[in-house]
Amino acid sequence: MTATTMRAAGTAAQGEKQPRVQNTGKRLGAVAVRLGAIATFALILIYFALFAPGFLSSFNLINVVEQSAILGVLAFGMAVVIIGGGSNVTEGGIDLSIAANMGLCAAVFATVLQAGYPDAVALLAAIACGVAVGALNAIAVVGLGILPLLASLAVMNIAAGAELTLTQNTVVGAASPLLAFLVSGSFLGISALAWCLILFSAIMLVFIHKTTFGLRLYAVGGHPEAARAAGINVPLHVGFTYLFSGFCAAIASVLAVSRLSASTPGSGEMLLSVLAAALLGTVFSRRLVPTIGGTLLSVLFIGFLANGFQLLNVSSYWVNGVQGALILLVVAVTSFARGPEASR
Amino acid sequence: MSVSQETSASGAQRLGGFIASYSVVITFLAICLFFAVASPTFLTGANLYNVLVNNVVMLAIVALGLTIVISSGGIDLSVGVSVDMASMVFVMLLAAGYGGVFGVTVGLLAAVAVGVLNAILITRLKISPFLATLGVLFIGQSTQQLATSGGQPIYLITGYAGDQFNAIARTSLFGVPTPVLVLIACIVVVYLLLHRSVFGRAVQAMGAQPGVAWYSGLAVPRQQSLVYIGCALLCGITGILLSATVKSYVPLSGNAFLLDAIGATFIGTTLSAERRPTVIGTLLGVLLLAVVKNGLLLIGWNFYWQQVGIGVLVFLVLAVSFGLRRARQ
Repeated sequence: MTATTMRAAGTAAQGEKQPRVQNTGKRLGAVAVRLGAIATFALILIYFALFAPGFLSSFNLINVVEQSAILGVLAFGMAVVIIGGGSNVTEGGIDLSIAANMGLCAAVFATVLQAGYPDAVALLAAIACGVAVGALNAIAVVGLGILPLLASLAVMNIAAGAELTLTQNTVVGAASPLLAFLVSGSFLGISALAWCLILFSAIMLVFIHKTTFGLRLYAVGGHPEAARAAGINVPLHVGFTYLFSGFCAAIASVLAVSRLSASTPGSGEMLLSVLAAALLGTVFSRRLVPTIGGTLLSVLFIGFLANGFQLLNVSSYWVNGVQGALILLVVAVTSFARGPEASR
Repeated sequence: MSVSQETSASGAQRLGGFIASYSVVITFLAICLFFAVASPTFLTGANLYNVLVNNVVMLAIVALGLTIVISSGGIDLSVGVSVDMASMVFVMLLAAGYGGVFGVTVGLLAAVAVGVLNAILITRLKISPFLATLGVLFIGQSTQQLATSGGQPIYLITGYAGDQFNAIARTSLFGVPTPVLVLIACIVVVYLLLHRSVFGRAVQAMGAQPGVAWYSGLAVPRQQSLVYIGCALLCGITGILLSATVKSYVPLSGNAFLLDAIGATFIGTTLSAERRPTVIGTLLGVLLLAVVKNGLLLIGWNFYWQQVGIGVLVFLVLAVSFGLRRARQ
């Protein structure tokens, strides 16, 4: 399983076509960072494999992939927003509403199922809801020119409030053939939820790294003025990223409902992990921009970290802190390799 | 905008510009008027006092800290950690029988330590403020969980500690409650620092033109460090006020300030033509959020609808301000 994801990440890095950087030293530095990040990842995995009982069992590995599915889908949505909006943190692309949106979609999905409608209707309703919230972001950012950080913050409040209003802050139970399939279905010994992450990653890899649209998205995020001069419809592309992150929130909500057989309050807490995964993923790319492979790697990394600690019987209270410290470590190394002028 | 353009602008355009700049003020006044009519209790002294002490003071102090940080072009996601650290250390020291002054001092130092950590990460290790403070936020959450065996609150309602808390939160000078006096002091200090001092100009320059600030010979790392430490100190003050008001330390409670404070600061930026954060703007943003929360409660909206209401309102204020400005350009 790990081999597949590693390979997937490898193709992602190779698939990134870009002009040669003149400065050899800097290029070597970036390579060192990428290798360093992957080496850190590998070392921690090796440590767990040696000392955490049962870590390497296929059951456990698939379990981690399964647990990472929700975070993964959300992180892809966030990564696409950051790709299209640029990675400037206060003015660039960011979608703070993605986790709250997932909560709202889950509530819609579970409520529609409980009202007796079939899976297809519930799924459509969830996706419509997610994309509608995404459209609100898109209108605010593209149409009105509100800073993404700010616009999505307001939308986050709206979505979280709407979820609370819909569910009255309670657990809405849900059961359906689709959910049953997601929980218990399996193919080639890999469960349906894990397949969801694998397939979604594969589609995203092709979509972002192998299509003209993906390349244009990077152009828009990297240098909007240049992209406009080159004839790319910048607002269209930026607007799309928010619709897409809304779509990702809807997909993730279905996975979340299937895992817990219910929609539960409190999904907004995932926001920080999603941000961490999407931003941490940038260190796996040569130009230090979000990539699908890098995002997937960091999602799995976060998943393995929590899982390894659990198996080592380390208190779960440590997990957040170690996750935070690792983000800082990886990013510090990155910005050193970037050179002094890029650090600003 | 040059003078000739100003004079040639039509009346409608000028009205649009006025609304774009003062949409927060107009909204604030309109909302106050609405609640004053809709709820008989809104304009009573007791209610306004309640809004000021319970909804405004603490959020405003955190938002002032964020105003400095955002002025410098950064962001601080770890404000909640600074609040919690001050609160935790203060309450734990009181629980162990130490004096109030000692507890407050060490509590504030704990918050400053968070700021120093942020400053080191940002200026020495060159980590972007967003990621650095995100990392500190995670670490701070773990620290609190480990220190309180998973998030057990500490309540000190009565006795010696209770008296110490009362001395902070329940006293007043010339009829003004102590927390409000603390807020006024913070406002004056931050206003002078940010808008009337050399330090403030350096901070503004860093935020508006980081490259130019650097090449002009500003000691960017030193100023940046002061920015994050100052923000953490303000959050620490909030932490002390928070634990004194609720007479307890509840782990991870500081995070509730983060999004409101960011929202208030950015709502405040709509006041300035260059969209820069200002002390006055931030305070208006805080007042707007506080009044809406209180007013919706008074007219009987439940907590869930309040959140939707605030989200929609903030969205509309931003939409009007940004939208009109864009239409004019």
